[in-house]
Parts: sequence; C-alpha cells; structure tokens
Amino acid sequence: MAALRDQIINFIAALRNGGVRISVAESIDAVNAVAVVGLERDRMREGLAAALIKDEADRAVFDESFERFFATSRAARGAHPDHRGEQVSAAAGRGKPGDNPSARDDDAPVRKTDEPREGAGARRRDEKSQATEAKPAKKESATRRDGAEREDGGRDSDKMQGRERGDADARDESPAPGIDAARVARLRAIERRPFDHYSILDYDEAREALAPLIRRFRIRLGRRLRLAKRGKIDFRRTIRAAMQRGGAMIDLNYRARRPRHVDLVILADISGSVRYAAQLMLELMAGARECFRRVSSFVYVDHLAEADFEQGHLVMTPPLDLYARSDFGRVIGELWQRRTGLLTRATLVVIMGDARNNRLPARADVIREIARVCRGVVWLNPEDPARWGTGDSAIKQYAREVSAVAPSRNLRELQAALAAIR
Amino acid sequence: MEITHEQISDGLRRAKYVTNERVETAIFLALALEKPLLIEGPAGAGKTEVAKVVAEILHTELIRLQCYEGLDEARALYEWNYQKQLLRMQAGEHQGLRWEELSEHIFSRDFLLERPLLRAITSASRVVLLIDEIDKADEEFEAFLLELLSDFQISVPELGTLKAHERPAVILTSNRARELSEALRRRCLHLFIDFPGTEQERKIIELKVPDLDAKLAAEAARFVGAIRKLGLRKPPSIAETLDWARALVRLGVRELDTDAVRTALGVLLKHEDDRAKVEAKASSLAPRKR
Repeated sequence: MAALRDQIINFIAALRNGGVRISVAESIDAVNAVAVVGLERDRMREGLAAALIKDEADRAVFDESFERFFATSRAARGAHPDHRGEQVSAAAGRGKPGDNPSARDDDAPVRKTDEPREGAGARRRDEKSQATEAKPAKKESATRRDGAEREDGGRDSDKMQGRERGDADARDESPAPGIDAARVARLRAIERRPFDHYSILDYDEAREALAPLIRRFRIRLGRRLRLAKRGKIDFRRTIRAAMQRGGAMIDLNYRARRPRHVDLVILADISGSVRYAAQLMLELMAGARECFRRVSSFVYVDHLAEADFEQGHLVMTPPLDLYARSDFGRVIGELWQRRTGLLTRATLVVIMGDARNNRLPARADVIREIARVCRGVVWLNPEDPARWGTGDSAIKQYAREVSAVAPSRNLRELQAALAAIR
Repeated sequence: MEITHEQISDGLRRAKYVTNERVETAIFLALALEKPLLIEGPAGAGKTEVAKVVAEILHTELIRLQCYEGLDEARALYEWNYQKQLLRMQAGEHQGLRWEELSEHIFSRDFLLERPLLRAITSASRVVLLIDEIDKADEEFEAFLLELLSDFQISVPELGTLKAHERPAVILTSNRARELSEALRRRCLHLFIDFPGTEQERKIIELKVPDLDAKLAAEAARFVGAIRKLGLRKPPSIAETLDWARALVRLGVRELDTDAVRTALGVLLKHEDDRAKVEAKASSLAPRKR
C-alpha cells in the first residue's frame, strides 16, 4: 500500500509541476478516494480526477500524467508509441526554458514529458495529425472494441471518428471531456500575463479572452446597482406603517438605494509601453457602455484625441503621433480646457497610463482641480507597483490628488480594478 | 449507511439516469468521503438532475437553494422572525417579564425562520442539499459557504454554533458565469458533465421517450449531436432533446427528413439566429434526404 501511496504522491507532484494547483487537503482526499474506489483503473482515474482536478482546463494535464504514472502494461506499449512520444517531446522542446524550472526533477517512470501543459496541446495536435489516419484505423478499432480494455491510441482515433462523422459510435460514450480544455487553459494564462510582456500575438489572444471578461464585468457593474435593497431603515415610512399597528414597528421599511447616474471620462495612454493595456481597457469599457449614462473616451500621447471603437478597431480623431514624447501634463491641461459639459459632479474620470512624463511638468494641480469638480478620479497603472515613482514616473505626485490608484498589470487586475470604480 | 459503488450504479440505472464511469465514481466518492460535490458543465447537461437522482438513491429529501445575484444570508441561512419577536415582547410586557428572561426567549430556535442551508444542517436524517448555480451568487456569499462546506456547521451569533447531526450530501452546480474561488474548489470534489455522446443520448431518449421508434431515436440523437457542434448561441439541452423527441412522436413523424426537422425545430432551438443557422444546413444535417 505504501508503494501506491508514494506513487500517488509522485503523481500529485507531477501535476503540480504541470501547473495544477493542489492543496495538501486535496492530496489527502486523493489518497482517501483511491482507498474507497479501489484499484480498477477507470474508477481510480475518475476518483483521482474528482479529488484533484477542480477545473476542467486542467483535465488534459491530468489525463496525460495519469497515462504516464498508472500505465497498464498494454497502454505502456501504446498504439503509436513512437509517434506520440515524438509529438510530446517536440512540444516540450517548444516550451520556454524559464517556464518550468523544477520540471526536470519530476520522476516519471515511463516516459519523460516535462511540459504537461504543452503536452496537452501536443495531444490536440496529435489528434489532428491522426485525422488522416482515422479512416484506416476504423476497422481496427471495431475489432478492438470487443476487448475489455482499449489502448490509448485507439481512444484518440475513436474520438476522432466520432467527431468527424458525428455518428453513433459506441465508443463515443465518454465524450472528450472539455473539448477545448487546452484553449481554456491558454485563455486563462493570457488573463494573468503582464501587459508589458505582450507581443502582438498575445494581444490577439487577449482580445479573444476579452469577450467573457466583458460579460462578467457587465454583470458585476449591474449587480452593484441592484444590491443593497435592505440597507438603511427609512424612518418616516416605518413610523407611518407602525401607526396602523398601534405604534409597534412590525413592518420595517428600508430606504431604496437609487441608481446614480454616472458619466464616464476615460483617458488612455496609447504610447508604446502601455498601448496594449490601454486598448484592451477601452475595448472592455466599450462593452460595458450601457452601465453608464455617457461614456467619453480619449486617448493621448502628447495630445488629447477622441477615441472610438469601430468593429474592434481603435479610431481616433485627430490622429496621434504614437512615437511622440508622452506629455501628460499638457494632456490634462487640454482636458481641463474642454471641461464645460464634460466634467461635472456626475463624472468619473478613469485614467490609464504609467505616468511616465519624460520629466516634463506633471501638473498635478490640474488633476486636483479636476478631482474637485468631478465625482472621482481613478488612476489605473499597468506598471508593477514596485516601479512606481522610479525614474520619470510621476505617479506618486498624481496619487496624492486622485481618489484611487489601482495596479492593473494584466487583464485580471484590470477587470477587478474597473469593476471597483463605480 | 455504508454505500457501495454498485449501489450507486444500480440507483442511477433505476432512476433512468444514463451516465458514465466518471459521473458514477464522483457521486460515489462524494457520498463515501462525505465531501461536497461541485458539478460544472454547459447548461442543460443534467447537473441539477444528479442531485435529484442522489436524493432518490438515498431515499431522502432534497433541499434546494437556488442562487441568484444578491442572495444573502437572510435568504439562504436563517432570519430572525422579527414580527413574532415583537409580538412576544409585547405579550411579555403585560406579564412583567425581566429583560434577561425575555431576551433568552426571543432569541431561541422558535423565533428563527429556517432557510434551506440551516434546514439541511439541522435536519434529523441525512438529506441532499442542492446549491444550484452557485456562480450566480455573489462572491461574498461563496466565502460564507466555506464554513458550511468544510465543517458542516453554521454559526448563529445569538445561538452559537449549530453542527449537523447527519452530514448532508451537498451538491453544488455551476455554469461558469464567473470563476469560483480556489477556496471553494479546494473543499469540494469536482465533476465536469459535458453533453452526452451520441450513443449515450440515444439511450436517454429510448429510456425517457419509449414511444419513439428506435431507429428514429438514433437519428434524432445524431442530429442533436451534430447541431451542438455548429457553435449555436444556445445549444439544445438534454431536456430539450427529450421534448423534441416527444414532439416527433406527437407529430407522427416516421422518418427524420428535412421537412420533419423543420416543423419541430422551435422545440429544440430558442433563438431566431440559431434557427436560421440550422435551417440553412438542415438538408445536409438531416439523416434522410428527400
């Protein structure tokens, strides 16, 4: 039994190396689960999965590791061992060297595949590459179907056929769990990726990840309006109701919180260093437009320009020189000149930028004036808080004048920061 | 009660819940280890049904808490019956009770309005507690569930901590409208239920709509499986498939050709653009062409 326990613990270590977060309590659950369900392979697999995998996106990693650790003698031989091995190790080679430093000391008994997350992607590629082989493999799988236990490669090609032809293949039984697991995992990773590490490809992926974020964001904004139906007691109405009952306050009346109208003014820095963050924020806010009474978006480098989103593309009038020297002091001055009708008590100003001002005048006094006439000024900074105030960063000066400064280094932080502003 | 894996399989079969090893094992583990089970998956894949079936297997009551935005402790857990307390106080005035006696009285269980969570905890026998669509509730509510899920106890400030006599079997479902917290996930076993494969869906149709011709059932299952892959706004759920199968029976459809598919499509698809999409492809999707 001890050997099995060690094996499970090693298995969990491998999963952790693969990026799955598993707590101590969960590993105890896993051992208990195996004790209860027994060693029959499929049951053990599902038992371990139920105890360890709390996110379907991690399932691909799990399945891959499970095959390695609890291989049956037949599965170990595998249907296309060379083929698969090649694919997986090729994928491992593709991983960045710094990504998974501890991966080397995972002691996989069967095969070394150190990048399970990448490995999951490889499995998808693997399936794709098998698509061409699916037709000849079909007869084979029909005979294999009689066997009590099927081989690993067979499952892949079966799944493939089921998907290709969409027919009643008896082995379609256990559907490919979370077909898009690898994609979900990728989107989740991009949510946490810092903006300043973005490449143009990352930006495209981030835009894909934005759609569900926008939905969540809208829900959160909307909820804040509906919340708190039972806050303060409305004294007058309670007393009035009590008069009908001889003065006993049987029915309590609460003061309804009125939705306040909010006009939003967004200012986003689209100069080199923070442009991805700014564009994503503008797009996110464009999606939540109906939660506000009016939204005016501006972008800036050294001047102010009105921004609009048309079919996912940023349109600005007048066009800006993206390579000019950022000058936020001047920009904020321009905003102040336009204040009539734009900046009122109902206005919330959201500024996105790194406040790196090329040592030009910061004009924090203008921010103070704006904060005085507006409902609030929120500053979102895509820089690491550790670097705030270093070099030419003027964020410390601005921080004194605005209502809040929130770090928004990645999509997740950005969304959280924006959801809190209202 | 000792529960075996076979009992679960039998129970599921008897409840006409067609499933696979994964679902069986997860349910069994949740009951055997007395852990909450978090079920995720697309809408209409049969998540809520699991709870009903488990209640049936255990021959016990199902207590259901439907989550929604703004759900608070007062609705989920307990609330003091303020009106009743007031009446008691007024009655007490005439008897000349002292404050200590009175307060002891009005903060007792008699004056507590039990909401689903408290009911599940204080129930004398083992019940099934279904916390449905937990993703719809606020994050604060989720945090508040943690005590319940890990220790099966609830703290009521005036009464102290109430501990479950019999740990309820807790089942949570989520459609992933938002990400659930790690803390919650850690405390639960996890199960992902996807739409069934074609073969599995055929079995479901045959079990639940026995009037439908077997050949037609297979074709219907295949058709539904195919349109789920079209990337619709709302892919048809299992319940809708069953409704559709019943509709086919009532319409006296013998063969699933393009016309037959068109007539009853409203049962299956609830969005006009989905409908247009499927109708455009109906001729290629329908198993039998005319």
